[in-house]
Amino acid sequence: MSFSDIIKRSLRNLLTSKARTILTALAIAVGTFALTLTLGASNGAKDYANNIVKSNFDPTELIVAKDKNLFSREDASKPQVYNPSFGSVTTFGGGSRQVEYLNNADIAKIAATPGVSSVQPNITVSLQYVTRDGQKKYIGTLATYNSYQKPTLLAGSIPDNIPNGQVILPQGFLSSLGFSSASSAIGQNIRLSVQNNTSLNSALINPFATSATQDSSKSQETVFKIIAVSETPSTSISAQTSLYMYSNLNVVESLNNYIYSGTSSYQKYLEAYAKVTDGSNASKLNKAQALIKKEGYSVQSVVDTEKLITQFISVIEGIVTLFGLIAIIASLFGVVNTMYISVLQRTREIGLMKALGMHRKDISWLFRIEAGLIGLFGGMIGSALAIGIGTALNPFISNKLSLGTSKLLIFKASQIVILIIVLAVIAVFAGLLPARKAAKLDPIEALRTE
Amino acid sequence: MIEVKNLTKIYGKKDTTFTALDEINLKIENKSTVSIIGKSGSGKSTLMHIMSGLDEPTSGTVKIDGIDIFAMKEKKIDAFRSSKMSFVFQSFFVEANATCYQNVLLPLEIAKVGITKRKQMVLDALKAVDLEDKVNAKASTLSGGQKQRLAVARAIVNKPSILFADEPTGNLDSINGDKIMKLLFGLNKSLGCTLIIVTHDPDIAKHTSMRILIKDGQIEGIEKGRK
Repeated sequence: MSFSDIIKRSLRNLLTSKARTILTALAIAVGTFALTLTLGASNGAKDYANNIVKSNFDPTELIVAKDKNLFSREDASKPQVYNPSFGSVTTFGGGSRQVEYLNNADIAKIAATPGVSSVQPNITVSLQYVTRDGQKKYIGTLATYNSYQKPTLLAGSIPDNIPNGQVILPQGFLSSLGFSSASSAIGQNIRLSVQNNTSLNSALINPFATSATQDSSKSQETVFKIIAVSETPSTSISAQTSLYMYSNLNVVESLNNYIYSGTSSYQKYLEAYAKVTDGSNASKLNKAQALIKKEGYSVQSVVDTEKLITQFISVIEGIVTLFGLIAIIASLFGVVNTMYISVLQRTREIGLMKALGMHRKDISWLFRIEAGLIGLFGGMIGSALAIGIGTALNPFISNKLSLGTSKLLIFKASQIVILIIVLAVIAVFAGLLPARKAAKLDPIEALRTE
Repeated sequence: MIEVKNLTKIYGKKDTTFTALDEINLKIENKSTVSIIGKSGSGKSTLMHIMSGLDEPTSGTVKIDGIDIFAMKEKKIDAFRSSKMSFVFQSFFVEANATCYQNVLLPLEIAKVGITKRKQMVLDALKAVDLEDKVNAKASTLSGGQKQRLAVARAIVNKPSILFADEPTGNLDSINGDKIMKLLFGLNKSLGCTLIIVTHDPDIAKHTSMRILIKDGQIEGIEKGRK
């Protein structure tokens, strides 16, 4: 019997027992549904992570830190030995740990590395407050603008080099600072205040001292002109970063120096961005990364950052996939059972086919293809349901999670097709034992069966 | 010609053996009509099964047109059977949920007959058994007599050179039984195939040109010429 005839006959046999076929296929569909959604969610999460990295990091840059453990997982369960020359950072869990900072000598050393065109320390300034005439004072952060970022602007424009005294205001501050619209904010002045940390420290050391926090000589208020208003991005690393104001490196650095002058953190940086000449070339980027690493620094590329973010997604994906696979394995026992029943019910038909000269290999294929078709139907039903429901709920879920234009579920046709084909192939294997039983039936005994 | 030599079939092992056929020797001419007659358990069906290659003998040979069928590998025997032989059984063995067309198509699919030839061959076979108006009817809707005619159509669609009929009228009333036997004898003449009927009915046997009487696994006698 030709393969196409075997497929046609298998299909007809399945349609003869519609209820049994549908129920067995539905069992597979449950697992497929879970796996399709997992793939969709994983694609969505990876795409979102990719967007975050792309809109926040320059792929031709390397992130360099002095602390060896900044980019790696260290054992946080053990106490860290105190080092007076180290600075401290707050971890995700809210705990505190010490890290070794970069200084200007390090910056110069990294800049001298072959392949590195420039090095810019990563500076974000915690403002004492931001305000404008007649408005309340708000906490804020000023960060260094990187031309790579290209934020979506609601109003104004950003020149290649932002002049001193000018700032990009995020959308989130508009109404708080009393602006009716983004365009009305352009050209208006706001005041940013920073406070020297030595005064802050003295206040913390002696909370009863009244002079420290109110000592105007220890604070500096600077007037900035708004040149652009940026839209709240959906790809912010955190909710806080969506409220970052941006200015040029000189301005941010001078404010940072003011804050830390007289402290051990003066002109020290947690990390710096090393721009690599022709850094879009992966081999050149890797070469520069290796050289900086050789100098004793911790280096991370955008790819490494992306890997770090997607690592967590992959773990979640793995767990959900495992549950989906367990559901599919369980449903495959249903396929085996269904096919065994089919062999028992069609014993005389098998006997007849053998009597008419059908080879046992073809009889085996007849049942294996039937099992495969059940897998195929189950896969198609499960995937179709997942895509249908997922697509319908996608805008709602994405909106709830504030993903902006990104989608939580991204279904890739190639993945779905591969998933369905793999399921059909696995189902063919599940049909192996019943098919073997059918193929081995003695035709005479089969024809005598009542 | 079918040539059976020293054919013995023993079932079981050691102390529990049963000799179903014992040193059978016979020759059947092509295009003849043969009945194998005997009581239940006499070995007539076993003889038919071995002659058709469905069962293997313990010893002895079966040659069809000079070819020893048991010297062939399993796949070759299957192919040989699908191209040269066909069967009509007492219990019809039609697929109830399939149409008459689909039932008759089965031997052509097994023999890998080209798709373009199939339709006409099926229609011809159904016409030969007067079921041309039931092409798309489901087998489950047919009467017992019609089902057996459908089984006959399935048996002749591939134009076999040997047609085995195992108690073909066993499940039919006398009127339908007579119709089937007339049909089978007519096909023997029109198709020129050898018709071998296993039966315990002497009325059917008397119409065949050769009668092989089996008793306790041995040939009790061979009669030739119609009665």
